[in-house]
Amino acid sequence: MSRERRRFEAAVVRGGVVAWVAVYAVIVARSDEPPAPEGAVLQLGVPSLLWVLAARLLLRHRWSRADSGTGATDPPARLLAAAVAALPDRRQEWGRAMLGELAEVQGRSARWRFALSSARAVLWLPPAGGWPALALVTAVVGAAVVATGPAVGAAVPGLQVFAVTFAALVGAMVVLAVARSSRPRLPVPAATALVTAGVAAAIAAAVGFLRREPDAAEYLPPAAAVYLAAVLAGCLYVAVTSPRWLGDGRLAPHLGAVAGVGFAAWFLLVNRFGEEPPVVVAVLLGLVLAATPGAAFFVPAYVAGRAGRSLRPGLQAVAWAAIVAMPLTYAVWLPEGLRRHAIDGRSLDGEVIVPVGTNLVDAMIFCLGIFPVIGVTFGLVGAVLGARRAAPAGSGA
Amino acid sequence: MTRNRRPSAQTTAVVLTLAEEPAAWRYGYQLCRQLDIKPGTLYPILIRLTDRGLLETTWDDDVPAGRPPRHLYRLTGTGRALATELAAASVTGAGGAPPARRPGLTEGWQGA
Repeated sequence: MSRERRRFEAAVVRGGVVAWVAVYAVIVARSDEPPAPEGAVLQLGVPSLLWVLAARLLLRHRWSRADSGTGATDPPARLLAAAVAALPDRRQEWGRAMLGELAEVQGRSARWRFALSSARAVLWLPPAGGWPALALVTAVVGAAVVATGPAVGAAVPGLQVFAVTFAALVGAMVVLAVARSSRPRLPVPAATALVTAGVAAAIAAAVGFLRREPDAAEYLPPAAAVYLAAVLAGCLYVAVTSPRWLGDGRLAPHLGAVAGVGFAAWFLLVNRFGEEPPVVVAVLLGLVLAATPGAAFFVPAYVAGRAGRSLRPGLQAVAWAAIVAMPLTYAVWLPEGLRRHAIDGRSLDGEVIVPVGTNLVDAMIFCLGIFPVIGVTFGLVGAVLGARRAAPAGSGA
Repeated sequence: MTRNRRPSAQTTAVVLTLAEEPAAWRYGYQLCRQLDIKPGTLYPILIRLTDRGLLETTWDDDVPAGRPPRHLYRLTGTGRALATELAAASVTGAGGAPPARRPGLTEGWQGA
């Protein structure tokens, strides 16, 4: 391995570890009691080691493909391919035309100039229905977003920022779809429906929580509300538009969606049986519960990577698992948090005697932060190992 | 209401360049280099010309192994008629007599 690659790998590994240490420091700083030393070592060390493993496997897999010529595209080609992938079907031919010409362009700077200029053209193609139609849709969406604020503010004041942000993001998706004249592809309708239901459940859970505990609104400050809206709208966008890199197969999305549901079910079971587990249940479910978080992301990625004989299906499975698991676990956390707090005043992560509103913060940190980050890391390892086992000798794919 | 706008200078240049050898198929990169315009400018023009039936396209599959096929372009009959009109207009702009306009060809352009 070249010195440049070694340095790049070290930088990626260090960056991930430092980011995790920073996140962990924030979590510890805002918890009531510091973790036990052995617990802290475990919580810091396991995700860090996992990241080191995933980053090294992923980078070496990509480099081996590049060296063997099976993934031979340079950054300009990858950039243009990504822009072309966003084109609606009726314009795909033009994207392929640009990629075909880029293959003929020689010289690094000339290739970058061609790719950047073409990508700009791809992103700014005139809307299919003309600018007036787009302006009309934009005006309607804008009016709807403006009306959302007072309407939600009157019913659930604590969710006003969230509602406006979520409506604006969904509205932007609609405008984008009209501009690009793209209809939802829905290659895996069941998985898409699952994500949509999960997002709806997450919103319903937040509404229910804040209607029951209006004073908890102080635990959902504007920045957190925007983050929540962005993640949920992002899940919805990915599921509904199903970009080609995410949904061109059927097995991987379904595996990922099932895994996401499994993870959410595991989370519910842990909370229901976690306090005083019946002996029989504890014995029977002990191994399953302990193994589920990693398996929920690792196994589908590994199986999809192996079945698809490449890395991409594994990554697709991981992505679907994450966008299904995030809204569903959030939707589980809030009602479970209310239930648990009513029983003994604890939060779901075990902190003693905390305000019930803490659950709003914890649900975001865990369900929309820690769980997907660690799960995706497990999944990356599974995807690379699956692709490696599936690859024919010498191909490295 | 039909907007009565003429093609942009760059669109005119593309059409006139293609009209130099109307039977020949041309590559996009080839046109970029010949006209010294960026692909980000050229491709929207080619798309609009094709949408209006002024340009026909095909794929060149005779490329080296491992490379993607290339897109080829040439003017249709309507496109050649537009080129004739644009060429005449450019002569007029240079001091000649105004040509007899064929209605419809240079109409309907919206920012091309």
